[in-house]
Amino acid sequence: MDFYIGLLQVIGVHTLLGLSAWCVLHTGQVSLAQGGFFAIGAYVAGMLTAMVGWPLAWALPTAALFAGCIAIAIGFPALRVKGLMLVVATTAFAEIVRLVFFNLKWQVQTPNGMVGPDGGLGFGGIRYFPANALSGLEILSLIWSVVAAVMLFLWLLDRSRIGTLWRAVGEDEVAAQSAGINLTAAKVSAFGIGGAIAGLAGGIFSHNTTHIEHGNFTILLATFAIAYPIIGGLKSLLGTLVAVVFIQGVLIEGLRFLGDWRSLLFGAMILAVMLIRPSGVISAPLNLSLFIFKKNATKLGSSKGASHA
Amino acid sequence: MAWIDFLDLVQSLMDGVMFGATYALIGIGFTLIFGVMHKINLSYAAASVGAAYLSLLIVSVAPSPVVYLMAAVCGGVLGALVYFVCFRFLPLNQSLATLMSTVGMLLVLEESIVHATAGMPQNYPAAFADTVFNIGPFILRGDLLFVFLLGCAVMVGLKFMLEKTRLGLATRAVAQQPIAAQICGMSVDQTNASTFVIAGFLGGTAGAMTGAAIGVLSPLLTLPLTVKGLVVTVIGGLGSIPGAILAGLIVGGAESLFQFVRGVSERDIYVMLMLFVFLVFRPNGLFAAPGGRD
Repeated sequence: MDFYIGLLQVIGVHTLLGLSAWCVLHTGQVSLAQGGFFAIGAYVAGMLTAMVGWPLAWALPTAALFAGCIAIAIGFPALRVKGLMLVVATTAFAEIVRLVFFNLKWQVQTPNGMVGPDGGLGFGGIRYFPANALSGLEILSLIWSVVAAVMLFLWLLDRSRIGTLWRAVGEDEVAAQSAGINLTAAKVSAFGIGGAIAGLAGGIFSHNTTHIEHGNFTILLATFAIAYPIIGGLKSLLGTLVAVVFIQGVLIEGLRFLGDWRSLLFGAMILAVMLIRPSGVISAPLNLSLFIFKKNATKLGSSKGASHA
Repeated sequence: MAWIDFLDLVQSLMDGVMFGATYALIGIGFTLIFGVMHKINLSYAAASVGAAYLSLLIVSVAPSPVVYLMAAVCGGVLGALVYFVCFRFLPLNQSLATLMSTVGMLLVLEESIVHATAGMPQNYPAAFADTVFNIGPFILRGDLLFVFLLGCAVMVGLKFMLEKTRLGLATRAVAQQPIAAQICGMSVDQTNASTFVIAGFLGGTAGAMTGAAIGVLSPLLTLPLTVKGLVVTVIGGLGSIPGAILAGLIVGGAESLFQFVRGVSERDIYVMLMLFVFLVFRPNGLFAAPGGRD
């Protein structure tokens, strides 16, 4: 039973991470910085509860706000470029964050001994949940109520004027701009909200695992973050959740009986999903024409697909 | 700064620039593929390291130059494989689909390497490891010099191929105007595939050079090489081969310099900050792409 509770906790955290990438992808930007914001949220929330002694209810929003502010500050220079350049710029940012935490040594004396980030050894002793005697089920309900709140927020946002603006920018930047939409405002707001959600996810993650280190926040994590919405389909929020359950539940845990071959098959499954449903699981009808009219599809694509990387 | 420190600094800069030839090759590979397809192939560096691993199959029976050649050939084969699996049958107007498929390929390649070698680093044959040249107060390591010269030779070969052969002409034509190239009777698909093979050759060589310069191959090399290759591509300017070469040498030198000044755990922070400086002040890179397309 504990195993399934743990799995559902992981799925919840990764859903939040996927939703943060969903915001940014909605405006047509591919950002690999979500892992960086996740790391910032994880470290800040962990420091606030473990080192300063704040309650979690204060630490999580503060961490989210902090990550969101960093995202906005990074967004202005980074979003000047797009496509491949943005992928690389955000990758660089995520690597900088990871390496800063890799080098960060800052420990304080608390009743439980020295606590704080210790360079490459990581940041242990974020024991808010055990100290307050929260059971697995309580943590689980906490995580999923946050997920539900964020999903509701994004759903409302998507139906509001802001969501329309984001989608307009995502569909066609030039058209959006000529309709009088402020591109920078739309992109940076999506980046900021995405960063805040990633920071929230990171804060929950660090408290759930009690020990974090720089190796948790590599580019691979950021790749997963954008993989969820892309595989799930950008049209709906539910797609992200389905993709997280599919990847974390089915691919990573469900294939455990395959032993070492599991991780090999994992990449192959992502490949297969992209080949069969290139625009996501919940979006278009099955792409069967692909196998029949291969030539046409590619020809059309190569002439049209010049704008994005 | 003491004189001896200055000598060390210049020495590490020289070593870095020579090692930068591998980054330049990886950057050229990214740039070539971006040039013809306007797509990013994230599995490229993993395929390069994979090619170097494949060449280890003949390491016990062949001398090291043959092993390097084998790595290049395997790189070409893997390049074709990546093209057919990740690009050929995907709708190219969906930019995110190929991005994800290459990520899947990256994971498959990395896991295959881990699986085949049980995650153990493998020794890679070096060339001229014992040769050392003394130039004044500086030392020129033979293996690094070999890596640098091999990189230069491959780049010259690439330049010849692009400018003097029909295939190179087709590659450049497709990069500039795919539709016009098709009207003139060139097969875009074939050109794309052969570009992947050529980029694969470069990648395989780069993988072998990395192995030869470091002395070991490890699956942990793939992600740093991917990131450095992308950084080189962006600093050099998307689609620009001279830019990628220059940026590769700059990144190699800067990396070594930062390592000397600030230590190995902090050096990449400064390399990435350098990228940000370029993005702010020269967002199009050192050289804009020929034809000036984004």
